[in-house]
Amino acid sequence: MLNRATFRVGRGVTGLLGPNGAGKTTLLGLLLGLHRSDAGTVRVLGGDPWTNGPDVRARIGYAPEYDALPPDVTAADVVRHIAELHGLPRREATGRASDTLWEVGLGEERFRLVGTMSTGQRQRVKLAQAIVHDPALVLLDEPTNGLDPAQREGMLELIRHVGNELGMDVILSSHLLEEVERVSDSVIILDGGVIAVGGSLEELRGGGDELVVEVDGPADVLAASLPGAQVIGPGRLLVPLTDEHVYDVVRDTVADLGLGLRRLQLRTATLEEIYLDASDRLRAAP
Amino acid sequence: MTDARILGTGYRTYTGPRLGPRHATWTLARHTFERVMGLRRPARYKVLPILTLVIAYLPAVAFIGAIALLPTRRLGDFVPDVARYYSFVTAALWLFAALAAPEALCPDKRSHVLGLYLASPLTRVSYLAAKAGAVATAVALVTLGPPLVLLAGESLQNAGPRGVGGFMSTLGHALGAGVALAFMFTAISLVIPSLTDRRGFAAAGNVLVLLGSAAVSNILAFGLRFGDGWLLVGLARLPYELTTRIFGRTGLPTPSRTPLPTAGVYLAATAVTAVAAVVTWWRVTRVVVTR
Repeated sequence: MLNRATFRVGRGVTGLLGPNGAGKTTLLGLLLGLHRSDAGTVRVLGGDPWTNGPDVRARIGYAPEYDALPPDVTAADVVRHIAELHGLPRREATGRASDTLWEVGLGEERFRLVGTMSTGQRQRVKLAQAIVHDPALVLLDEPTNGLDPAQREGMLELIRHVGNELGMDVILSSHLLEEVERVSDSVIILDGGVIAVGGSLEELRGGGDELVVEVDGPADVLAASLPGAQVIGPGRLLVPLTDEHVYDVVRDTVADLGLGLRRLQLRTATLEEIYLDASDRLRAAP
Repeated sequence: MTDARILGTGYRTYTGPRLGPRHATWTLARHTFERVMGLRRPARYKVLPILTLVIAYLPAVAFIGAIALLPTRRLGDFVPDVARYYSFVTAALWLFAALAAPEALCPDKRSHVLGLYLASPLTRVSYLAAKAGAVATAVALVTLGPPLVLLAGESLQNAGPRGVGGFMSTLGHALGAGVALAFMFTAISLVIPSLTDRRGFAAAGNVLVLLGSAAVSNILAFGLRFGDGWLLVGLARLPYELTTRIFGRTGLPTPSRTPLPTAGVYLAATAVTAVAAVVTWWRVTRVVVTR
């Protein structure tokens, strides 16, 4: 179930993040016009996916979470068939199926039966069938499920390639913070069917109103010399960024104390911090 | 120095035509027809369709050969006319429909491809229309083809209907009967596959429905004498009764020795086809593909 789900999806890769059961797959179903919302409006690529489903879906690519490929058909035939279903004439569909399978690294394997492929290869076939018709929007539901670390790395690289270089906007649904953070330009965090937070990662991480300082030596000595500084670990402290001269003040103070400066940078929130903060605010809300 | 260049041939933006939802329906229908007939698939998937076509067409070819080789007086009633031909192929028809329909519907649910289909320009209604159209086309190869081959063979050897009028009338009846049978077999044979994702269960269920309904109707009509009307419940008999009525003839013997009423046969055939179609539609429109 989804509630109060108001958001806009921007360019590039948008991570749709949330624990299992948060409503991610339901949201993808709404975007595809497979479910009807009880209230509110859903617009995808300028159209209503429920009332104008076929036209909207013709411009969307979708790779579901579950294994959705027929085992007794070759990868090339599956991808060509899906391309034809999305409106490509047979000749073009055949050519593009081959090109797309090369693009996802399955060129040599394209005439193998899907049922004989490994999990990693099947995930790539699912990605290929989602992008073969050059859609404007690609929906990927847990595309790294069942992959080992090396395969996951390769899949994330492909997703980043699709979103940033092939010109398609991607919604990547995942329950894994780390992989969303690595490939996404923006993020929507769902929790209990409610959108906890949404926006570009750059904005959500914040411009930073503190500096992280890491030194070789006792941090408390440095903290005592810098107004408002707070020790956060061995050799690490946070310094309020009240104006642009703070950088110079920190550098000079470290030099005066004879300490070694290892790190001096703006502090930005990690996606995990954003997620936990949003969850806390959601639980605290009436 | 040459002007040779290496061009990248990887993934490219697509700027060609996009053919719309009708093309999607046609694509799925063609794909399903190929699958049902075992085309573009390993040899083992071609055995049943080929066997069915042989069983359906062989009698027609044999009868045409007999007409060509034997004198008319020795043939007697050995060679049936087009109206009687259906009795030779009904079993093959049922077997083919019983196995073709599960092949069309069950794998999509079992392998979850249905989720991909419904994420394309297809809707549940156009999905079902494509599937039913493909099965009906495959079944029509058996319901339309052999009678037309027999009609053509008989006519070419001057053993067919008399005159152009007779030929055209028989041709019309054969086309009507073939199309009606294709609709009816398609509708009935899709019901059980719409209820399960197991091909084997669906095929066995189809055969059981045929045999079970035949047994029940015969027991009720002939054994318990509950009335001739119960014969229309038998799905093995109803198609044959329908084709004989389309050709303007009476059907098989009944317990009361009076033929079943033509209106009753048409009504029963229409009702069975309609109920089967509604049940299949109801099921397919309610299959859950995402949470």
